[in-house]
Amino acid sequence: MAPAQVAGATAGAGGGGSSAAAAPPPGPGKGSGPRRSVMGTRPWVAAVFLLPALVLLGALVAYPIVYTIKRSLYDADGSAFIGLKNFGTVFSDHGILTAVRNNVVWVVVAPTVATALGLVFAVLTEKVRWGTVFKLIVFMPMAISMLAAGIIFRLVYEQDPSQGVANAVVVAVHDTFTDNAAYPGARPRPNSDLAPSAGGSFTSKSAAAAGTPADLPLVGIPQNKVPAGAQDARPASPQPGVVTGTVWLDFRPGGTGKPGVIDPGEKALSGVKVQAVKDGKVVASAKSGKDGTYKLPAAAVGAQLRLPASNFSGKYEGINWLGPSLVTPSIIASYIWMWAGFAMVLIAAGLAGVPRELMEQARVDGANEWQVFRRITVPLLAPVLVVVTVTLMINVLKIFDLVYIIAPSSSQQNANVLALQLYLSSFGGGDDQGVGSAIGVILLLLVLPVMIFNIRRLRREGRR
Amino acid sequence: MATVTFDKATRIYPGGEKPAVDGLDIEVGDGEFLVLVGPSGCGKSTSLRMLAGLEDVNAGAIRIGERDVTHLPPKDRDIAMVFQNYALYPHMTVADNMGFALKIAGVNKAEIRKRVEEAAKILDLTEYLARKPKALSGGQRQRVAMGRAIVREPQVFLMDEPLSNLDAKLRVQTRTQIASLQRRLGVTTVYVTHDQVEAMTMGDRVAVLKDGLLQQVDSPRNMYDKPANLFVAGFIGSPAMNLIEVPIVDGGVKFGNALVNVERDAVQAAADKGDRTVTVGVRPEHFDIVNGESEGKSLSKDAPAGLAVTVNVVEELGADGYVYGSAKVGDEDKDVVIRVGGRAIPEKGSVLHVVPRAGETHVFATSSGERLSD
Repeated sequence: MAPAQVAGATAGAGGGGSSAAAAPPPGPGKGSGPRRSVMGTRPWVAAVFLLPALVLLGALVAYPIVYTIKRSLYDADGSAFIGLKNFGTVFSDHGILTAVRNNVVWVVVAPTVATALGLVFAVLTEKVRWGTVFKLIVFMPMAISMLAAGIIFRLVYEQDPSQGVANAVVVAVHDTFTDNAAYPGARPRPNSDLAPSAGGSFTSKSAAAAGTPADLPLVGIPQNKVPAGAQDARPASPQPGVVTGTVWLDFRPGGTGKPGVIDPGEKALSGVKVQAVKDGKVVASAKSGKDGTYKLPAAAVGAQLRLPASNFSGKYEGINWLGPSLVTPSIIASYIWMWAGFAMVLIAAGLAGVPRELMEQARVDGANEWQVFRRITVPLLAPVLVVVTVTLMINVLKIFDLVYIIAPSSSQQNANVLALQLYLSSFGGGDDQGVGSAIGVILLLLVLPVMIFNIRRLRREGRR
Repeated sequence: MATVTFDKATRIYPGGEKPAVDGLDIEVGDGEFLVLVGPSGCGKSTSLRMLAGLEDVNAGAIRIGERDVTHLPPKDRDIAMVFQNYALYPHMTVADNMGFALKIAGVNKAEIRKRVEEAAKILDLTEYLARKPKALSGGQRQRVAMGRAIVREPQVFLMDEPLSNLDAKLRVQTRTQIASLQRRLGVTTVYVTHDQVEAMTMGDRVAVLKDGLLQQVDSPRNMYDKPANLFVAGFIGSPAMNLIEVPIVDGGVKFGNALVNVERDAVQAAADKGDRTVTVGVRPEHFDIVNGESEGKSLSKDAPAGLAVTVNVVEELGADGYVYGSAKVGDEDKDVVIRVGGRAIPEKGSVLHVVPRAGETHVFATSSGERLSD
């Protein structure tokens, strides 16, 4: 982070320096007394007033830059000059290359999405009555430090749905649309008619016959996982022409039950899906009722009975937000949460300066709201959008804290960015300040073009 | 081309009690040039924006031709609007500005080009087509805004004080240009202005509004000759009509030291309402100076006839001059404006005796402000 700030400060100092240099140097005139500049100050007085600023800038900005560049050319303990070898290390180290690649993703995605979101918020809040309240809320994350935001999102992305709100939402949505497995881990009694078949399902060996109940005993469900309201299992009544049977937990506490027999007190398993399969095709399916009985139509006669895997699959665990593949997008999302408000406030200020009549004129000219937005609002806001995007780009190049805090150590390498690598190489285990300085110099070089673009644009704007 | 009908259209701004436009009822004929005029805050711009679809209509209806457009969005109304500040799109060239509506409507490029060039020729803008609005003068921008309206060939033109950002000379010039252009194109036009001179010179008909209420709709001539009430009388005409409250006497009204004949019915009507006075309106050009001459109408023989006016200020305009003076009517000093010939300008401080010309007086009820004479 430090090098980019350094770059900003140097640019400012450069501007100040040039304007000072532009003033004509007042020289001592003979006979007419000490000559003064337009402002009526003597040169040495001006120098005295400039001194504190120059000393501070020199000590805090200029010297560190020069020293960092020098340090990047020396080895780990700073004793031997090794030329550009540190830069060679940077560009050959696998971890550092990941950091470079991630930085590119960051710079491309984060400012664009944050600006786009900010634009949408700014345009929409203008139209609602409580827009200011909405803006205040969206802007609020800006008041939080990066560190606190990082901790918040570390919790948000927690894997356990009872801790991480992201997974709580995902799991809740998933469970709403997909039937949760009723009895994870349940299995047929060994040596029973049911045998494991493909994909975690269980299929009966014999064919189902009409009139004789086909009972399907299951075990492997701990007593405390049996639903509290489960009824006692009841033998299915034989009915002509249809296949009936009972699905139940063939186990009684104390091991007093007989295998394969519905003993009194053994619990029914309701909601278990039973399929009738003929030649690999499902010809009928049913669910067991409250007392564990199920009924399949006549088509099931002669078919094998199957309990599909959906009855037994484990619980949905949610998304592994901070796993190797998603960690960078997740952290970028948290960054956008913080900075979309900043973009929105700046864009809303720009929008306030756009005359209402232009939008009204466009509407009268026959444009619908999207065309007004696309052809009038966005082009008129283009200067503001550029400022916001560029500012965010500079900001994103220096991103460190969010990545350092959110990424767990297991996926830190996958989330790596340059500023983090700078820290890691210099102090956090790498102990090679030469390489760290080299990364710092690279960061400075990356920020410079954006800074120069920004300054030139500001100058142009100032002249207008 | 189409007619425009305001049918008791009412607009109440949110949070307000009083309607900004209250039951506006106007019918604009096909190809007619109607001017909405009134002091600021009278609801004229709001009326226009209601017609454009930029303001909601809270009650009543607005029709363009046979089509009820009361709740249609602006884009479906087939209208073109010229705003006071022209509202040119700053990021587009003049040609793009003029062609924007056609582009939105999906007209092909060659056709847009052709129509923009035609309009540019009419408005003398051909050489500026490639420029951005900020590189144009005020008058040119105004013409681009006009051109943008013309290119559309809409059913109705709406103009919201399009001349108020121009300097005085250009305004007069553009005024006639717009009026003649409208005659040539024959497009129904609703034009909003606060300047009663524009209203009188441009419109086929003029509608005067005050506090959201329509006061009178009529041709400029009738508006001038027969203002319907005190407000219209005072608003139309420059300098304004002199409005003087005078007591009713037998056979007419007492005007200073002179008796002015007004219609017996008119005076009777006022008297019936219980008014002891009426308000007499006389335009500055309808005063006759009667210094020293006895016209035989004098009420007392020892004073000269007519109203004694002390001259305070004289405005010489060359062809004629306006005398701003004060006269004692009853116990009050009233300001009076009198037009005099350019060669007979009285001195400051002198006293003129004036009588209103017979048949050119307007009588209004003091209490209600309504016109009594016809």
